[in-house]
Amino acid sequence: MIFKYLLQKEFIQIRRNAFLPKLIVVFPIMIMCVMPWVMNMEVKNIKVEVVDNDRSPLSRQLLHRIEASGYFDFQGQPSTYSQALKDIEMNRTDIIIEIPRGFSVDQRNGLQPQILIAANATNGTKGSMGVAYASQIFASQGQGKLQASMPVSTLFLFNKNLNYKVFMIPALMAIVIMLMCGFLPTLNIVGEKEAGTIEQINVTPVSKMDFIMAKLIPYWLIALFIITVCMLISWALYGITCQGNIALVYLLSMLLALFFSSFGLIISNYSDSLQQAVMVMWFFVVILMLMSGLFTPARSMPAWAFATTYVNPMHYFIDAIRTVFVRGGGFSSIAHQLGALAVIASIMAVWAVLSYRKNR
Amino acid sequence: MNKFNSFVIKESRHIFRDRRLMLILFGMPVVMMLLFGFAITTDVKNVRVAVVTASSDHLTGRMVERLAVSEYFNIVATVPTPGEAEQLICDQQVDMAVVFGPDFASNGSGIQLIVDASDPNMAQQWSNYATNVLMGAQQGGVSVKMLYNPQMKSAYNFVPAIMGMLLMLICAMMTSISIVKEKEKGTMEVLLVSPVKPIMIIVAKVVPYLMVAFGILAVILLMSRFVLGIPIQGGLTWIILISVIYILLALSLGMLISNVAKTQFVALIMSVMMLLMPIVMLSGMLFPVESMPLPLQWISAVVPTRYYIDAMRKLMIMGVGIGEVMRETAILSGMTLLLLLLSLTKFKNRLE
Amino acid sequence: MAITAAITVRNISKTYGAVKALDNVSFQVEKGELFGLIGPDGAGKTSLFRILCTLLLPDNGQAQVEEFDTVSQMSQIRKIVGYMPGRFSLYQDLTVEENLTFFATLFGTTVKDGYESIKAIYSQIERFKDRKAGALSGGMKQKLALSCALVHQPQVLFLDEPTTGVDPVSRKEFWQMLRLLKQRGITILVSTPYLDEVRQCDRVAFLDKGRLMDVGTPEDILERFANVFNPPPVEREDGNTTNEEHVIEVRHLVKAFGHFHAVDDISFFVKKGEIFGFLGANGAGKTTAMHMLTGLNQPTGGEGYVAGFDIRTQHEQIKRHIGYMSQKFSLYDDLTVAENIRLFAGIYGMDSKEISRKTDELLAKLNFSEHKDSIVASLPLGWKQKLAFSVSIFHHPEVVFLDEPTGGVDPATRRQFWELIYDAAQQGITVFVTTHYMDEAEYCDRISIMVDGKIKAIGSPDELKRNYGQPDIDHVFTLLARQATRGDN
Repeated sequence: MIFKYLLQKEFIQIRRNAFLPKLIVVFPIMIMCVMPWVMNMEVKNIKVEVVDNDRSPLSRQLLHRIEASGYFDFQGQPSTYSQALKDIEMNRTDIIIEIPRGFSVDQRNGLQPQILIAANATNGTKGSMGVAYASQIFASQGQGKLQASMPVSTLFLFNKNLNYKVFMIPALMAIVIMLMCGFLPTLNIVGEKEAGTIEQINVTPVSKMDFIMAKLIPYWLIALFIITVCMLISWALYGITCQGNIALVYLLSMLLALFFSSFGLIISNYSDSLQQAVMVMWFFVVILMLMSGLFTPARSMPAWAFATTYVNPMHYFIDAIRTVFVRGGGFSSIAHQLGALAVIASIMAVWAVLSYRKNR
Repeated sequence: MNKFNSFVIKESRHIFRDRRLMLILFGMPVVMMLLFGFAITTDVKNVRVAVVTASSDHLTGRMVERLAVSEYFNIVATVPTPGEAEQLICDQQVDMAVVFGPDFASNGSGIQLIVDASDPNMAQQWSNYATNVLMGAQQGGVSVKMLYNPQMKSAYNFVPAIMGMLLMLICAMMTSISIVKEKEKGTMEVLLVSPVKPIMIIVAKVVPYLMVAFGILAVILLMSRFVLGIPIQGGLTWIILISVIYILLALSLGMLISNVAKTQFVALIMSVMMLLMPIVMLSGMLFPVESMPLPLQWISAVVPTRYYIDAMRKLMIMGVGIGEVMRETAILSGMTLLLLLLSLTKFKNRLE
Repeated sequence: MAITAAITVRNISKTYGAVKALDNVSFQVEKGELFGLIGPDGAGKTSLFRILCTLLLPDNGQAQVEEFDTVSQMSQIRKIVGYMPGRFSLYQDLTVEENLTFFATLFGTTVKDGYESIKAIYSQIERFKDRKAGALSGGMKQKLALSCALVHQPQVLFLDEPTTGVDPVSRKEFWQMLRLLKQRGITILVSTPYLDEVRQCDRVAFLDKGRLMDVGTPEDILERFANVFNPPPVEREDGNTTNEEHVIEVRHLVKAFGHFHAVDDISFFVKKGEIFGFLGANGAGKTTAMHMLTGLNQPTGGEGYVAGFDIRTQHEQIKRHIGYMSQKFSLYDDLTVAENIRLFAGIYGMDSKEISRKTDELLAKLNFSEHKDSIVASLPLGWKQKLAFSVSIFHHPEVVFLDEPTGGVDPATRRQFWELIYDAAQQGITVFVTTHYMDEAEYCDRISIMVDGKIKAIGSPDELKRNYGQPDIDHVFTLLARQATRGDN
């Protein structure tokens, strides 16, 4: 039962640290209270300016429709296009709509007058969404005949109100687990190296397995705590609850925590200084996170990049947790991800044990 | 001057001697630029579609054909009932389903799209694209002009964001450790007892990181121009000048953390969790500031990265003159001055 | 008297929380004096050094260095003093020469200008000038730190236990150099736990628990406080438990780092129940040899057996049968006394009941029961060392390895420490110890002296003294170590 004593030691050390217990409690709460409001890629309040060169009742009618639409934030009516362009440069507007001179006359005469929509496409998503909304407004005014003949309706599954928080809360859980269970173990072994206590452990008959497992388990429990806090806040503050089996959420989180803490220990085993360990960890974490589909759709990536998701545990995790948490999928829906995650996490755990060297 | 040089040389040795660190420092921008340039996009692509149809009439076939040939959609399944399609979506086999009613051809009863809305933005875009494709998109009466980014590359949006994040990460995090480290190792005692002035210790510590930051800035700019093919529109001088201000700001911030924190561990945690997280989240790097609730917008007003990214987007991508970024420049300069003063006053001339 | 004081300390007090580090201390040091600051651990020596170096503000009282006030005239003082803090304070990732150059320019001088004043010491490490400071052995680091503190030829020199971990020969050279500096008129304030060094001071001040007990000539002070500084030698009950069984057996052991042979073909044995002193100059290869015996390092060549196990293949079995205490203090600073004992005892497979029973026994024996739940970081060094030793033999190993266990500890505590060692030997635990205190070497049953990676002499202290015709081990050691051709591993 050597293991028991090692584990006790790790817990005492975490508890006695002046900073860690506070961090473990406060950090997930803070993140969950603030970030869902922030992580909102929903495009709304697109600022729009209209250059009305026609000044006819028809053009004014269009103007009203833009003002009234929920998507746009009407900024005003500059007199010329170049003036409006200046406003784009100053970030006062995102989209310029220019109604040509003689628009209503041409329209009546059956000519096809062209309305110009110019969007600041620096932010591609915002630009294209803005254009799409604006086009819809004009399309419904121009020729509504086709649409009437063949209505296309859309049913948004799992998230009827298109609430962005539903998308982001599982991602936040992943991020918090990653930061806490990834960085703290990374600092742990390097810390013992710098303090010299690791040498004392190395001359004892402690097995590598016991030593590393004792370092991993506290972070498992921290992950459990974090996930509980996250789900509670998500329910209390945002009214978003887990659609599927909560046990699956815990299982997934444990596997992800196992992966990240093993990964942190591996880096720690190979590093000489705290600075080095943290930078290396940060490097990998950023890549894993960006390539996982946490924020952006993984399938939009080119084939070579998508191929990397097969070894990216973050990808399996985020896929699976969204399936359980948002879509209400059961075990069979995520069996494949669970399996992959378990395999990757156990490989990393074994590596963490092997890379720790008591004798050189 | 001699003293100063030898101080700078010493600090540079600490950094440049750590090979692994250097590899990360320069590998990070390269990898991130490549990822954002070529891998990560929010384009509508490879959307997996299930077709729900009971009959296989001519009109349905034509519609399905339209979807199949479009560059956005891959049809991966055909199922008879919407219920089965929903199950497929739930299992992550498909992203959306197109439901044709049983009497679609005869009645023209319409089409229903069932979309996985766990990602609301993408869901909306998929539904828009699909509607356009199915209807044989016509945008009569409207001509569209995509300013500054005609090919709609995500990289245009991301490059300034990467600059803002990496420069902050490297400058603030690396310097934050540097002073604490000397305190922890006991070398600070010796430095303090020597006749060097605190300002010199600080400046000498900053210089090597300044050089590293310049190197990284150069890597990013060159890569975005020649690898990602983003035309750098604005004046290079201004871009560099504002970057210098921003780098100085990040360095002073790192110094401040370093002077306040007692151990390397705390300094690292502080810079990773309390500095980088808010910066990534609140700067408008990934998430638009204007979609945030008001109190958070106020907080984001003090995040310097926000102004830097704004300025860089305007200068690099939109190619405006310095006049348009005067406000950002002024704010950044002010913040730099404030942080510099603060970290100087926080520098302790004695031990606790 | 027209003597001008170089250092004046008047009614200085300093408190940390509830601990009174310095309590109304006053004394004067004359210009050009070699002044010793002595006292047990936690006496307030380091705090006093820091106040005089302007690093700390005193709560009460004033202090002047060369007539500059330590509070208001900080920058003047910092120009004229040299300071060597108690713990190693150089840049580990810079080479020896880079460190020296850096500190020279820091004080506005160059290595060339200051070379004369550091020659005696620096010449010993100069051949390693391209090696990183972090790769030097303990004593070598100390020599480098000294060179760095001396290179700018300060007017007043503050040395906080400068020779801790330095071998006897180098210590002698170091004090010769201090006398040289004194002749040049430099005022030196130095603290030391070595009695032979105390005797070389002009005057000494004795601090205890923050209070100044007395100032006077070394002879006076040492005599008046003989119970503290000159405790009667440790009496060993004559229960010679050694038998002929060899618990450590080493044959032609070699450890090479590249072309460098840190341990170069050593052979020796240690009998069961023996106290074996493993002596050698800094960098002679002691620590490397010990690391091989304890299974931290793989030998490059030769063979060795500890407690009957092969050090090449059975290092994990060896670890079950040994205890180890390193020169760096090796308990967890953030655990309490009881928690540390519990952890290490648990690691060796004791069960909870036995642990708590034996913990109480041990603490009672050490008179330490009231500190059972104190955090280790808050204990004085001497206590930590005793505790670390007790923990290392808590599981009753066959052999215990002690790597400079008494470095930087005052004489009275060292004596208590050796009582513990004798006690352990009495119980049949073989003790394998390295030390730089030659009086401790005399306490051993047998000793070996390592020079340049080889064992130059081995035998009982009396045998060695006889064979080399020297009055004590100190002289034997000096004789052998002076033959060294290399300074470091």
